[in-house]
Amino acid sequence: MNFASARELCLYLISSAFQRCRLSDDLCRLSVILKQSSPASDHPVVQISISDTGIGSCLDDFRTLKFSGESVGNDEQWDGVISVTNTSVSDNEIYHYQLNLKERDSARRLTMLPSNSKNGVKFSGTEVCLSIFISINVLRGEINRFFQKILILKIPSVAIELVTEYGSLLGSKVENLFLANSFNPLPFSASNLERLKSGLEDYVLKHGNVLNKQCDLCFQSLENLKIGSGTASHAERNGNGGLVMEVVIILSEISERTSTCFTSCSARTEVLYFRDFSTCSISQSSLKALTSIDWRSYGLTLESVKDQGGYVEIEWENLPPHTRIDIVLHAYPKQYPTVIIPSRRPKVQTDGNLIKKAVKLALDDLRNKHAGVLLSAHSLKIRSYAPDLAKTISGLILCSNDPDFQHECFSLLGLQSQGVESEIVEASIKEKLLVVIDMNNRKPQKSKEVAPFLFEDDHFNEPGFQDEECEGEDAFSATPMDI
Amino acid sequence: MEGKREREMDYKRSSKKPSDLLLWKIREFTRALVEDLSNRRSPEILIDRFRNYCANAKANCSCSSDLPKGKEILTLQKESNVHRIDVLLRILLIVQQLLQENKHGSKRDIYYMHPTVFSEQKIVDQGINDICILLGCSRHNLNVVSAGKGLVMGWLRFSETGRNFDCISRPCTAHHIPVYVEEVEDIVSVAQYILVVEKESVFQRLANDQFCNTNHCIVITGRGYPDVSTRRFLRLLIDILCLPAYCLVDCDPYGFDILCIYRFGSMQMAYDAKYLRVPEIQWLGAFPLDSEKYCLPKQCLLPLTSEDKRKTEAMLLRCYLQKEVPRWRLELEVMLQRGVKFEVEALSVHALSFLSTEYIPSKIRAHLEILSGDCSFAMKSGA
Repeated sequence: MNFASARELCLYLISSAFQRCRLSDDLCRLSVILKQSSPASDHPVVQISISDTGIGSCLDDFRTLKFSGESVGNDEQWDGVISVTNTSVSDNEIYHYQLNLKERDSARRLTMLPSNSKNGVKFSGTEVCLSIFISINVLRGEINRFFQKILILKIPSVAIELVTEYGSLLGSKVENLFLANSFNPLPFSASNLERLKSGLEDYVLKHGNVLNKQCDLCFQSLENLKIGSGTASHAERNGNGGLVMEVVIILSEISERTSTCFTSCSARTEVLYFRDFSTCSISQSSLKALTSIDWRSYGLTLESVKDQGGYVEIEWENLPPHTRIDIVLHAYPKQYPTVIIPSRRPKVQTDGNLIKKAVKLALDDLRNKHAGVLLSAHSLKIRSYAPDLAKTISGLILCSNDPDFQHECFSLLGLQSQGVESEIVEASIKEKLLVVIDMNNRKPQKSKEVAPFLFEDDHFNEPGFQDEECEGEDAFSATPMDI
Repeated sequence: MEGKREREMDYKRSSKKPSDLLLWKIREFTRALVEDLSNRRSPEILIDRFRNYCANAKANCSCSSDLPKGKEILTLQKESNVHRIDVLLRILLIVQQLLQENKHGSKRDIYYMHPTVFSEQKIVDQGINDICILLGCSRHNLNVVSAGKGLVMGWLRFSETGRNFDCISRPCTAHHIPVYVEEVEDIVSVAQYILVVEKESVFQRLANDQFCNTNHCIVITGRGYPDVSTRRFLRLLIDILCLPAYCLVDCDPYGFDILCIYRFGSMQMAYDAKYLRVPEIQWLGAFPLDSEKYCLPKQCLLPLTSEDKRKTEAMLLRCYLQKEVPRWRLELEVMLQRGVKFEVEALSVHALSFLSTEYIPSKIRAHLEILSGDCSFAMKSGA
């Protein structure tokens, strides 16, 4: 596994530590400590310690790491050395070694250091340390953002802390805790999809998990939060167990009064992408799949889909004001949880079709659960006929001179027969029409396609066709049916 | 479905007026719509499809059968369908009112009730046709009429809703063909044939030439493409008076098309063709070779435009020409081969009254001779 920057490596090491915790049967702690050694400089050396009480690591997990970055840029410098301390439950000792990831000669990359005895105590854990010449606030910001995203997975068994010590001169220390179940807790038995749904909901309510609790200004009622989810999976291929793709989409409408929250409304959506329970940059094929989704059939128009280097941002063209869309995608192997650490997982290609299918299912789920949501322009157009149709149908009932017929219709509509006002009849028919139109909109696109004409020769048009009754032969079209 | 048919039979047995049955059908249609909506079913409106010709003359088509050739399904899934349903329902509401109050309204009246929605007259026409097919009736049954544009003159007398049309007293004076053809009664005539002319200018020429004074006939014009009233009136006269009917049209694709509409009915109203077509009508002229026979100067002959040619080629494909009037089709082919067209008025190039004094009488004589020849042949064969 190759890294171009120390920051990238750092996030990978944190992610691996998180995976080790996630796969442990016990409650685990993941600590990241950033310590500034010489605060006087703009880019002082930052000592980084990443420790976890997870299932334990092995030397091979680190041997495969390679560093190709020059580290001579202005924003970071690194000597390429990581110090690892680890032990597994089955080990009797705690191992110490150093790896120089910049070293080309593999024989000189690893330096084994003396190990300590565990004195018969059963425990497991890993600590990785490294020192980077970097702005501590930049690094802290990136790690913070990483954990804010990781919380979306809502893994309840891992407690995460991020400690930032600004050196002796400042004397200040900042501690951040990231606990999945501190807000809207879920039972440990919850499925991955349930966690993802709840996790994204928390993420939205806490403005990207920046806040510790829900933003009451923006979300006075949870009715304004509409959630849809979809799951698609590959069948097992070549014994790799296949892949599951879970997608959650949240449509939030924020009260106009509270638009002071600047992050709350945006015509842009950052597509959050997880791969094997870890944040991940999106592939080109996945990006293409996202672009090729027929968003218009859900009343959405893409302005652009941009790869922002690590994450994808969708810009919407016609998103109503005070509306926001959040999307999370999570792909993982079906044989979870046996596959563990990123470096040990098999290569399973994320199929663009899998993304398309899961996103579509999530959009359909949203539309099915919430009437009038994500309607296509076509459906909105058809809905616009409902008032006129309702008025005419109610006219046919109310203007009839047959009271028995009127009573029969009122009864069908579930209205009382006596003293029914035209507005009530009209409203009742309109409501029923809208239900049916929305129902049609939810049907698979296939069934909405126009059937081929039964008679090919019905299409021949003779020029100059203008007989008095013959005008407008093609003014309308319909679906012909054989009889 | 079976229940509905039984209810319809019951209603027919108990009903007193045809309009009552139509009102019952409108109520049944509305009730079915409401029932569908109440049961969260998307309504589907099934409309029979009719055609009186196809473009496959060689196949064993059933175009001449007057039976529906399929169905259209209007649903709430397609915008064009929803607009059509909107139009249909709006017109149905107007029709219900007309029938309940026993009033009549014109197609134009209906158009002006919702001009924004209908946008143009042909949308209303299509909606009325849809309703006729749905309810299984003719347009006049809906109490919907069109402002008649046809003219009649000659040896004929009749009355319509109390009004007397005494054409016989001045046989060369034009009268408007009545709008309520169904109300026409007391038809009396001493005419020997009915002459249908395509254009008003020819009709006026014959009137000026006092054609009907010297020829005991009835002359009718639909002034171009004939409306329903003109065709219903012609059909009525032939049914009542049992007279031969001749048609005189321009020698061009439009003249031929108009002739076909009198003979076979129009595609758009194919559902009602059996009440509108006149299978007995005979083509009197003008034929492509008449230009040579009557020595028309070259300047009277106009080249067929590309649109004329396209129209002619399309008409040649109509199945009914090959099956029922192959001679007409041959004449159309000759027109296309020669690549020229001419108007009936061009025959007046040698003398203003040529049409009245020579052309029409000679053509009718020729028809009668053919007819008598056929009769004598038949008699000889019989003997």
